[in-house]
Amino acid sequence: MADTMIPAEEPEAPTNRPPAMHRLREWLSRRYVRHILIITVVVGFVLLPLCWLMLAAMNQSGGPASSIMQDIQQTIFVFTLVSIPITSFVFAVLLYSLFGWKGKSGDAPPNNDNPAIRTNAVAVITWTATSSLLAGFLVVWGLVELADITADSYGSTSATGQPKTEDALIVNVTGQQWVWTFEYPQYDKVATDVLYLPKDRPVLFNVTSVDVIHNFWAVELGIKIDANPGAITQTGVTPNKEGTFNVRCAELCGLHHAYMETKIEVLPDQAFTTLMRENGGGQTR
Amino acid sequence: MSTATIHQVEVPQPKQHGKPGGIMRHLNFLTGLIGGVVLALVFGFLMSLQFPAGALTPTFANAASGPVFWAMMVGWVVGFMGGMGAFVGPIRWLLGRDLTHEDAEFMAGKDQGKFRYWRFTTDHKVVGIQYLIVAMIILGFGGLLAMLIRTELGATWTEVFNPDFYNSLVGTHGIAMVIAMIVIVSGPVGNFVVPLMCGARDMAFPRLNALSIWLLVCAVPPLILSLMVGGIRDGWSVYQPLNAQAGPGMIGYQTTIIVFAVSTALASVNIMTTVLTMRAKGMTWSRTPILIYGAFAAAAMGLYAFPFYMYSQILSMTDRLINTSFFDPIEGGSVWLYENLFWLLGHPEVYVILIPSMAVMMELIPVFMRKPLFSYYMAIAGIVGVVGLSGLVWAHHMYMTGWAPQANYPFMLSTEMISIPVGFLVLVVIGTMWRGTFWSRLPMMAVFAVIFNKMIGGVTGVYLSDVPADQYFHGNMFVTAHFHYMLMGAGLFGAMGAIAYYFPKMTGRYLDERTGSIGFWTAFAGFQITFMSMFVAGLQGQPRRVLQFDNMFNISNWISTIGAYIIGIGMLIFLAAIMSSWRSGQAAPSNPWHAQTLDWQTQTPVPLENFPVLPVVTKLPYDYGVPDPLDPKKLEEKYDEKVGAPS
Amino acid sequence: MKRFLVALVSVLVGAGVVAGVAFFASSTSGEPPLLVAEPAGTVDTPEGPVNAANLELYVYPNSSDAVPGPTEGVNALYASQGWPFYWPSTTLQVPANSLVTVTIYQYDSGGKVFNPFWAKVHGTVDGTMTVNGKTVTEVDPTKVAHTFTVHQYPESGQPYLFVSVPLPDLGANAVGNADPYVDTPKEVTFTFRTGAPGTYVWNCEFPCGDQYQEFGGPMQQRGWMSGTLEVV
Repeated sequence: MADTMIPAEEPEAPTNRPPAMHRLREWLSRRYVRHILIITVVVGFVLLPLCWLMLAAMNQSGGPASSIMQDIQQTIFVFTLVSIPITSFVFAVLLYSLFGWKGKSGDAPPNNDNPAIRTNAVAVITWTATSSLLAGFLVVWGLVELADITADSYGSTSATGQPKTEDALIVNVTGQQWVWTFEYPQYDKVATDVLYLPKDRPVLFNVTSVDVIHNFWAVELGIKIDANPGAITQTGVTPNKEGTFNVRCAELCGLHHAYMETKIEVLPDQAFTTLMRENGGGQTR
Repeated sequence: MSTATIHQVEVPQPKQHGKPGGIMRHLNFLTGLIGGVVLALVFGFLMSLQFPAGALTPTFANAASGPVFWAMMVGWVVGFMGGMGAFVGPIRWLLGRDLTHEDAEFMAGKDQGKFRYWRFTTDHKVVGIQYLIVAMIILGFGGLLAMLIRTELGATWTEVFNPDFYNSLVGTHGIAMVIAMIVIVSGPVGNFVVPLMCGARDMAFPRLNALSIWLLVCAVPPLILSLMVGGIRDGWSVYQPLNAQAGPGMIGYQTTIIVFAVSTALASVNIMTTVLTMRAKGMTWSRTPILIYGAFAAAAMGLYAFPFYMYSQILSMTDRLINTSFFDPIEGGSVWLYENLFWLLGHPEVYVILIPSMAVMMELIPVFMRKPLFSYYMAIAGIVGVVGLSGLVWAHHMYMTGWAPQANYPFMLSTEMISIPVGFLVLVVIGTMWRGTFWSRLPMMAVFAVIFNKMIGGVTGVYLSDVPADQYFHGNMFVTAHFHYMLMGAGLFGAMGAIAYYFPKMTGRYLDERTGSIGFWTAFAGFQITFMSMFVAGLQGQPRRVLQFDNMFNISNWISTIGAYIIGIGMLIFLAAIMSSWRSGQAAPSNPWHAQTLDWQTQTPVPLENFPVLPVVTKLPYDYGVPDPLDPKKLEEKYDEKVGAPS
Repeated sequence: MKRFLVALVSVLVGAGVVAGVAFFASSTSGEPPLLVAEPAGTVDTPEGPVNAANLELYVYPNSSDAVPGPTEGVNALYASQGWPFYWPSTTLQVPANSLVTVTIYQYDSGGKVFNPFWAKVHGTVDGTMTVNGKTVTEVDPTKVAHTFTVHQYPESGQPYLFVSVPLPDLGANAVGNADPYVDTPKEVTFTFRTGAPGTYVWNCEFPCGDQYQEFGGPMQQRGWMSGTLEVV
């Protein structure tokens, strides 16, 4: 009686299913699997220079001029790097199918002697897990990056807040069909058509429009925000490189939308103050 | 002991007055055109009487031009649809002279030969082919505009067209292509194929079917007419308030969209009801071909998304004509309201374009790889996932508007998540290819093109979904290249594959492989050149919708323009293949691809009522490569009685 | 062979249609005829003698039999008689490296400009202009009729040129159409310096059009209130 209370150990059921490692090794030893994996690696290496080439294209007009732009470029670099494995694998399967699994092209379909695979749990689970992890990584990276940039620059907010630091420069950007004008309220409301900025000083932009929707895009500084009529949107940046950069309008705004561009001049702080004074604006607060 | 008694009940039939079809015998496209033009002129004239000659608004606009143009649009729509005979059915029902069975057969195109394509015909096969032709015409128009756009962008040393004409080109190209892409797979495949594949005799609402195609035809002339009266200079999205600055031609755009939205709503309801209620006996949801899932999903998304588009245009119209101020910030409206309404349509709409194309690809891969569809349930999960998420991502088009910056976080999350179900669809395709033996015919080759383009489009979409990266890419040519990869690369090339696949069933002839392939691959090569170069232009910083730009963008634009001309040549060759094969191609048997779905188990040409006996389904139709009771050879003999001239 | 011919014909017909439409559209949507500034000898400046040129423009409030309005680059079907316009043309050409003196006869009424930036003179030689002989640097922002603004162009290879001059209105008239035959327009003269050759655009920045914020209609049409400035 006491024996029956203790569950008896079941003997190992005999099976000829090889352990997992053996199954994996066997799969990897199949010719087409090896070929596809090799093609994946080759395609991956061919695509790898893209990470740097994309950045080179972005830097053609003067290179990153702020930490925000550098963050953006880093994001693009990482995203490209992370997308390459799965893209290479898909391309490799496509390439291999074109040559390795090609049948004939006549009027009757070819006979398929390969097994009629309906599904494969390992493949499905691997794919789902990998794509979810990848998407998850990209989301987390993106969210962290966005929070970072928002902390640096107000992100793309629609509030009229106060600048975060004492020495921040405030510029009121007005988009009007089809000219950008900039006003410096801290310098006696000096108004210019070219954007002058001091280096290494945080800038807060209050952007608005008097007519239709425009988009204020300071290209090499990496900031962009719509200029909406009837609302003020904000963005900010700290330029960390001197030079001449571009503002472009990135929202179709009518006849001369293509011509709605102007320059950004990032000057040393002293030169900036001198310039403001020359234009009639002593510094007021 | 029980016996069943069958009662013969006399069902009173409507009385047949005169010949079958009645007044419908005399109504066709010509009477529609006449009705539309006449009524447009009459209404326009009547409206112009309301305004003294030369009257101006306080802002010096011609006071009469807007309302008169609107009246002409109303007259055109009512007159065209009346002239086509769309109102005959309801009016006869109201008068108590309902359609008889002979009338219904007449309206289904019985014994009318080619004329039935020019009439208000209810047969779903006729409607499917009408959709194909109309879509190809709109596509040709959009393509012509694209060639003009690229010519302007390629001639970097001068301005070929002046800026507002260029802006009109861009806007009209956009809306024409969007409309064409929405209907080019859902139209022919959703109408011609879906009832056959379901094993039904027609769609659930045949008269609504005819209504939806003729509403689409009705929607096109206002768009073309508007080009002459100020044009659509605000992109295809015609954001407010720029929209409010355009000339009266904008009313043409608004009319087109309102009519088109009604047309798609009807078509969606029709497809959904057919799939839900008219599948053959035994076709449970686990035995339904994936194409039907795709068509159903696209119809469902279209049904909830298009009304937003319609509202946005109706409100724009009232803002313009009767001084409402939904979108006028000075009077208390909001420009962001328009953007939200628009993108609530705008995002699901791209899946309405993409899902049918992917569904057709998934449908034809088993046929051409002679292998079952890999993981049918993952395919369904992918489609359902895309539909479910598609309504939750629209504000990723508005990351940079400053509308609700805190909303950027959740929309980034949902947008990146949507890459997972799309990935399932890619898995299904790759899995079906794995260890198959592919039959290298044109429809199969299209799959390679589609998946290649889809991967590039999808990966670049991931960049755009990331808010910091979007801070560089929004409003930039990178976005243009991305959506062309998705909508044209995956959508249009998929549609070309679908046309090649269903050509034998629709016309009884094979699409010529050699010419078709040359056209297809030329267009594909041109496509890669054009849009890869456009990605470069975007990375360098070229904004969208500009006709003049800095010298550093010159090289990428020259390359893109040359690529665009190559696309044009390729598409024209493909068109030539379609036209010449339709007239004199090699005759095809009724199941040339040896497929197992119900649509291929019919004769060619498909008889009026599709199946002599309604079929019963016992399994999923993807049993290729398994020891097959339906040997291809036997299939050929059994159903191949009438290999003959198409009708 | 037959298929090849059909394909070839399709391509040729398609290319022909595209070329035909392009030529037609290009010729009907072109710019108004060219107006060249007249050379006016040389002027002595501290840097040495510089070429000079003169340009004369008129701004009319609407079309009439006497001044019928622009004829080319025009979408006649939806243009309105009530649109103000620059006459004789909006396609301007001035010489490079010169002092260009522009005289504008302004016949229109006006109102308040949206952005006070435009009520000031920018980019002219010593930042001034003359109105009926009097030298000023700005105009009352509530009495502006139009502006003449030459502005940014997306070409980094040419010198930056930004000139904006407000044109004062004819104060005596009420808002509405000024009689184009009035004898005393406001005469505005200003001079600016051109550099190396380049292409620029100009437009009016005062809301004198129709539709939303009065920036539609003539404001967005070449030939009326916007045009090009070619420096050769």
